[in-house]
Amino acid sequence: MACKIVNNLAPDKPREWQKNDGLSARNWTSVLHKGSYNVRKQCRHCIEPSCASVCPVGALYKTETGAVVYDKEKCLGCRYCMMACPYGIPRYDWDSPVPYIEKCILCYYNIKNGNIKEPACCSACPTEATIFGERDKLLKEARIRIEKEPEKYLNHIYGEYEVGGTNVIYITHKDCPLDFLYYYNQRVEKGIKLIGQPEINEPLPITTKWAMGAVPSVFVGMGVIMSGTYWIIKRRQQLKKNNEDINLTRDSDGKS
Amino acid sequence: MERVNKVKLILWTILGGSLAVAITRFIFGLGVTTNLSDNSPWGFWIGFDVMGGVALASGGFVIAAFYYIFGKKALYSIVRAAILTAFLGYVSVVIGLLFDLGLPWNIWHMIIYWNPHSPLFEVGWCVMLYLSVLTLEFAPVVLEKYNRIKLLASVHRFLDKIKIPLVILGIMLSTLHQSSLGSLFLAMPYRLHPLWYSPIIPIIFFVSAICLGLMMVMVGSLTSSYLYKKEYEKDILIQISKYSAWILSFYAILRFSDIIIRGAGVFLSTWSWGTFLFWLETLLSIIIPLFTFSIPYSRNKISILYFGALTGVIGIVFNRLNVGGLTHLNNLTEIGTFYFPSWMELVISAGVVSTSILVFFYFIENYKVWDKNPIDLYSIPRTKPLLTSLSACLEAEPNVIRAKLSFAFVIAFGFAFAFISEESIYNEGCEKSPVVRARGGDTLLIDGNRNNYGVSFAHKKHQSVVASCGYCHHLNKPGDKATGCYECHNDMYRQSDAFQHSWHSSSQGANLGCFKCHSWYENKGKNFVFTSDKLTQLCLKCHKDIIPADSRIEYLKTYKTLSYTDAMHNLCIKCHERMFSQDALLRKQNPNLTRCSNCHNEFEHSLKEKKIFVKKEKNQWVVIPSVLQNR
Repeated sequence: MACKIVNNLAPDKPREWQKNDGLSARNWTSVLHKGSYNVRKQCRHCIEPSCASVCPVGALYKTETGAVVYDKEKCLGCRYCMMACPYGIPRYDWDSPVPYIEKCILCYYNIKNGNIKEPACCSACPTEATIFGERDKLLKEARIRIEKEPEKYLNHIYGEYEVGGTNVIYITHKDCPLDFLYYYNQRVEKGIKLIGQPEINEPLPITTKWAMGAVPSVFVGMGVIMSGTYWIIKRRQQLKKNNEDINLTRDSDGKS
Repeated sequence: MERVNKVKLILWTILGGSLAVAITRFIFGLGVTTNLSDNSPWGFWIGFDVMGGVALASGGFVIAAFYYIFGKKALYSIVRAAILTAFLGYVSVVIGLLFDLGLPWNIWHMIIYWNPHSPLFEVGWCVMLYLSVLTLEFAPVVLEKYNRIKLLASVHRFLDKIKIPLVILGIMLSTLHQSSLGSLFLAMPYRLHPLWYSPIIPIIFFVSAICLGLMMVMVGSLTSSYLYKKEYEKDILIQISKYSAWILSFYAILRFSDIIIRGAGVFLSTWSWGTFLFWLETLLSIIIPLFTFSIPYSRNKISILYFGALTGVIGIVFNRLNVGGLTHLNNLTEIGTFYFPSWMELVISAGVVSTSILVFFYFIENYKVWDKNPIDLYSIPRTKPLLTSLSACLEAEPNVIRAKLSFAFVIAFGFAFAFISEESIYNEGCEKSPVVRARGGDTLLIDGNRNNYGVSFAHKKHQSVVASCGYCHHLNKPGDKATGCYECHNDMYRQSDAFQHSWHSSSQGANLGCFKCHSWYENKGKNFVFTSDKLTQLCLKCHKDIIPADSRIEYLKTYKTLSYTDAMHNLCIKCHERMFSQDALLRKQNPNLTRCSNCHNEFEHSLKEKKIFVKKEKNQWVVIPSVLQNR
């Protein structure tokens, strides 16, 4: 595969910790067979990536080209990104004693260095099933293709709005909807509206926003409350003690 | 002191075992030591060691708040123990985390690379800061022992002066990270079961941590009193149980109103694994402790109090495990595999816990953690041990105890190393076995004993006669008696001759679940049921098109070899009959193959019609030597 050559990935051996979707630490993209249709699975490079938002050291970050890339020098291996990805994309070098996160980086460094003009998968595809370009232009192209053959394509661009939009977008045949790629559609409460669950088109980082925003105020607030309580209770105890002292002195006075 | 020493012996044994596993984990990586996978990247270490550990250690800040801030001076005698528990709890959280992180030597990166959007970043910082605060809070206990040294004494005085600000800072930090551990899961709404996922999960976590902290203090106090045969601090415990009853009821109301307001109430009554876990958790964490704490009779009885507190502790740690992985999507639905921690994960966690308990014992025995020190362990007058006497080994003499503990440690270390399977550690993963087109069509050339002489076998004919492929191909099932050949000729039929069971079932091979082939309903899947017609279809589903390329069975184009019937009748049966008549033992065993009816089901019927069993006088067969070599 072109991807393997460009990104210098070793051949893969199936292991027990892999998912059955063909992706692994050494396969950054895979082709799934859905009936008579083929679907390529890879990182979607979300516009507001959940993985980058939850990484405690910012090892995953969004670049100016839209690719979400990984800095293995920063990573500490907590695997929070794997838990948070709505598409379940990042994979781990489970068999290595020095493991890193692995995922598609849209050939970011190679394109930046000028080695290649577009990602390896796009230049390898002979039928223009996978193409590379500006997001606006790709959306336009997708719409043109759908309009040209409306009886063939499903009138939905996957990745236009889901989780706040992704930079890798899909159009598909009517018989093969791509909802299965997204965890959202495999949830237990499918079809039940629950308060507090994010909408499918909401970017995931907003779920943690209120909690993280509340952090400073909770910190300061708790400090103020605790110091206040301490002061009040100490004062009250002192007053009580003073009263007792006064009573004691009165008692002794009375006696004398 | 018998009790403590017994417990110490157990703890040192666990420690020895976990040290061996720890070494393995750092040399060979996470994959072979844990059951973590791309589907469930977080497991027991995060759920128990980190989330459970932090929550268990919350006793420190709760008791400190009650004692220093709210002025509940009655709690005086347990404050130090509570802070020590918290300190050790956090130390073990950090150690547990080091095992779980893929690159633990990069943990300090959190200090220099900042991502304030991440809840984990906040948790990391708070844990670091709070650990330092706890160290300062606990330091006076150690320092007061060395008051003669001037420098240490002045440090002690300084720490005493800033005690209250330290306590307040500790409470602030605890509030933050106890709740932020819940915020971690806000980012994965699709993973968590709706009974647990809530936008206010940080608040739920904070409240439950306070309950857990109080109950853990009770458990800790009761356990150590029992071990050191100390008087139970009954009054304090009853007071704490009152506090925890109040907070627990608040927690229960919060939890259920949150579920109902969100509209997740429908899941409370569904019949599913997630709902079962929820009710189990509710029973353990809310119902039982609340019941025991709120009834005056049981509150006064130490054993019931202990039971209630312990159940509550287990229940809330179970809540952390549920949130941390048990109720995640991949464990509840068909996607992916069910995660259960491997024994090595469990041993590491047990080792981390035992370490902290041992350190706890150390501090209790050597510093003034309690009002009254436990009776000095080693003040017993020393008797001169006789090497020959057995009683010397059982005495509570310090050197003997130490020797026993070290012995247990070393033995456990060795045994644990022996238990770690070499196979899983050096497993490099399967090569994908090359496949060729299936050729089980008409006639096959079978070279059973691998001497390059084959017999021709009318495969198609047998396919129509025998109901199941497994009848002939499933030769390596343990105790399989489907074909009689295997009974005697185990030298001829290698274990993996026709059908590799382990390959078909392993996730690295064909990855078929047990019940893909074995019937769940009949015999509870213990036996391969041969009678079902479906089984033939089941094998054919894959094997219509593919067959391993290294198979020793060749498709035959010329019919010059010995046919299977001829081979059976002229070689096998003849020999079997002879052996059967000569060997009394064999007659007693009565192997299957001598019975014609083994293959010819309608033997009686056929005998009447005289269709088979006509002995040929002249052999019509020709053997082609080294057929396989010439190809």
